[in-house]
Amino acid sequence: MISHRDRNAQRIAALDERAEALPLKPGMGIADARAMHPTIDIVEADPQADLRLLDGLADWCDRYTPLVALDGTDGLFLDITGCTHLFGGEHAMLDEILARFFHQGFDVRAGIASTAGAAWAAARFRGRCIIELGEEEALLGPLPLAALRLEPAIRSSLESVGLRTVGAVLAAPRAPLVRRFGAALLLRIDQALGRQDEAVSPRLPIAPLSVERHLAEPVILIDDIERLVFLLATALKTDLERRGEGARAVALLLFRVDGMVTRLVVGTSRSIREPRLILKLFQEKLTAIAEDFDAGYGFDLVRLAILTTAPFDMHQADLADTTEDSEEDLALFADRIRARLGEGAVLKPVAVESHLPERAVAVIPYWQDAPQRISPPKKPAGPRGLPSAVPFQPERPIRLFQAPEPVEVPASEIPDGPPRQFRWRRALYRVAKVEGPERIAAEWWRKEEPTRDYFRIEDTDGRRYWLYRQGLYDASKPPPRWFMHGVFA
Amino acid sequence: MAINAVARDTVFALRRQIAKIEGTLSERLEAPAGLDADRMLVRRSGVAESHGLLATGAQHFDAALNGGLPKAALTEFYGAETRDAGTVAGFALALAGLLLKAAKTPTPILWVGTTEIFREAGFPYARGLQANFGIAPQDLLYAEAPKISDALWIAEEAAGLTALSAVILELRGNPERLDLTATRRLHRRAQMAGRPVFLLRQAAFAEPTAAPVRLVVTPAPATLRNTLAGPLDGSIGRPGIAVTVGKSRAAQPGQFTLEWNPDERTFLDRTRSGATHQQPRDIQNRTKDPVAVVSLSSGRTDPATAARSVLAFTPRQSSSPGDQPSRPQRPAHRRA
Repeated sequence: MISHRDRNAQRIAALDERAEALPLKPGMGIADARAMHPTIDIVEADPQADLRLLDGLADWCDRYTPLVALDGTDGLFLDITGCTHLFGGEHAMLDEILARFFHQGFDVRAGIASTAGAAWAAARFRGRCIIELGEEEALLGPLPLAALRLEPAIRSSLESVGLRTVGAVLAAPRAPLVRRFGAALLLRIDQALGRQDEAVSPRLPIAPLSVERHLAEPVILIDDIERLVFLLATALKTDLERRGEGARAVALLLFRVDGMVTRLVVGTSRSIREPRLILKLFQEKLTAIAEDFDAGYGFDLVRLAILTTAPFDMHQADLADTTEDSEEDLALFADRIRARLGEGAVLKPVAVESHLPERAVAVIPYWQDAPQRISPPKKPAGPRGLPSAVPFQPERPIRLFQAPEPVEVPASEIPDGPPRQFRWRRALYRVAKVEGPERIAAEWWRKEEPTRDYFRIEDTDGRRYWLYRQGLYDASKPPPRWFMHGVFA
Repeated sequence: MAINAVARDTVFALRRQIAKIEGTLSERLEAPAGLDADRMLVRRSGVAESHGLLATGAQHFDAALNGGLPKAALTEFYGAETRDAGTVAGFALALAGLLLKAAKTPTPILWVGTTEIFREAGFPYARGLQANFGIAPQDLLYAEAPKISDALWIAEEAAGLTALSAVILELRGNPERLDLTATRRLHRRAQMAGRPVFLLRQAAFAEPTAAPVRLVVTPAPATLRNTLAGPLDGSIGRPGIAVTVGKSRAAQPGQFTLEWNPDERTFLDRTRSGATHQQPRDIQNRTKDPVAVVSLSSGRTDPATAARSVLAFTPRQSSSPGDQPSRPQRPAHRRA
């Protein structure tokens, strides 16, 4: 028995068959139920876990069709258009799905119909049936109004005027129904009967290309999986060649016998189609998850899907084949690291036009292109086509702390001057030489930030630091604070 | 193969004998191509690549290193404390900048570090690297790894690439993972690719590794800025870097104070009697105020006056962090 909190009282949310036979009902108070049957076992409801389970089931259903959609908290839509022949027709497919769910320990009701609404009603109120095109009205007629997926308010108001079955609503004239109960009712009816299209939004975008392999004998070893990946990638290569494209993101889906699905995605910084390279990326990915990789009783379905494609630029090798395509090497290297260590593993800096030092450089992942917005404008060419020299290059540190670290400055000789000594990371530093201040203020649209006075400071050991004082000395305000922002060579 | 090996053995024996006669190390003799045991010969398009040495531009330092740092090898840079990270990284990056300056088509530099070191010592700042070492942002890549094993893996993979100018691996402390085997793998890959791998070890003490050259880097005071009116008092000019050759097969041990010139992008030696451009200031001061600012220690002559007299070897000042005379020079210096 599962309980949940509803309007400040613990109530029964769901029951199993034995509890239903007792008899207990959903919506009953837990205290009442306990009083009647002290031996019942009560579990607190966990909607998050339920959703995770449904997500897992949806993943598993990916093996039947790529178009799987979640329906509320307790249902799944599978768009099996064009997939049934792979499983020997609709009947055979329905039987297989039900049998497999049964073996996994789920009690599932399913229905197949040509509209989503009719299938929903068939699954919930008929169970294990196939509604042919045109039979929807016959199916829905005797069913209660709940079969139409209506709001409870509309449903109760319909019932209050005596329309208790779908058949009765269908028989009523449409115009007064719309006037009285709103357009939603007619929309649901039309969707159920196929007069209006209903889009089932799939959980995942459909891969433009995908190839899979059903295995008679489940595979367990990573070596076997890698070999399969190579075979599947080889099969994909011809398709990619015909389209003149290469893969930018590839997903590997491993369907375990007991229903778990492992989904591995690798991204590439340039389009690739060589099976060898795709395999290399997945090898890294498999190495990265080696500890969490649990083959269980093996995988019986392996699918390789290309999620995004991009035009593939061909290049011709010279006769000796000695040209070093260094950029390609680098891209592959970056992709492998990305596959193993995650998206932010290889980074590149991009100069940004900003006064604030920490904003003047953006660090973005290697495969991303610099956004147009932040890339600085091209410098106008000087005389003789040379880029004009930068008139003034301010001294900047070579390392910048990710967050400026607070520094204790006991006293400076003059209020706005540099410190004589300072304490940073619990060590005392004596200042030998100072240059500055260099006042840096934020851009005018960032008014709230106080100005910073930067000092280049060399301590008695010869280390050079970049310190700044945030704000100015003012009698009315608390004294400004000092920060360590970077170090020089 | 067997004949080759025998022949090579003979050549090595002869080289050792010649070196003994000449009174130097056999490694300092000019190496015949392809015969050095520790150097690999890679042919691309049938032409043997000679990786050679990376000259820093500081003559004394280069001479002590027998021409410069090896380009196709692992080189270690040690910093005693985390707060020296700026100096250590600056030295390695200056060398990488020299590599880029020499390259016809610049290829990127990869800087690999753990999350820990980037948090403790600061993240590389592209603007400063461009201003100080001429490394443009497009020639720079970072790789940040949460664990040391991951950072080592990235560095190993990167060391084998010819698409990178140099790989900088920065680690903190003395991790167990960075042992002889790990450094040997890095070194081998660097040799194969012909690209240097700079291993920056912050807050670490020296331990046996496979790197042929180990340099211990400490900060040194910067010079004063030069203006038309002479050096500007209290200003911070060219950064100073004190480098100790901790280990090298070809080099003589010694300490050198180098100066990085960010405008010319080259290293300079800071000579024993102060930097060259500081000398006028000393003379100026002396003429203005003939009394020594710091009292001389008793029983010794003024080292400044002694430096001006003609001597084969200038006397060593114990206080200045200038370079030590090499081993054969020492007895001569004592006699003087």
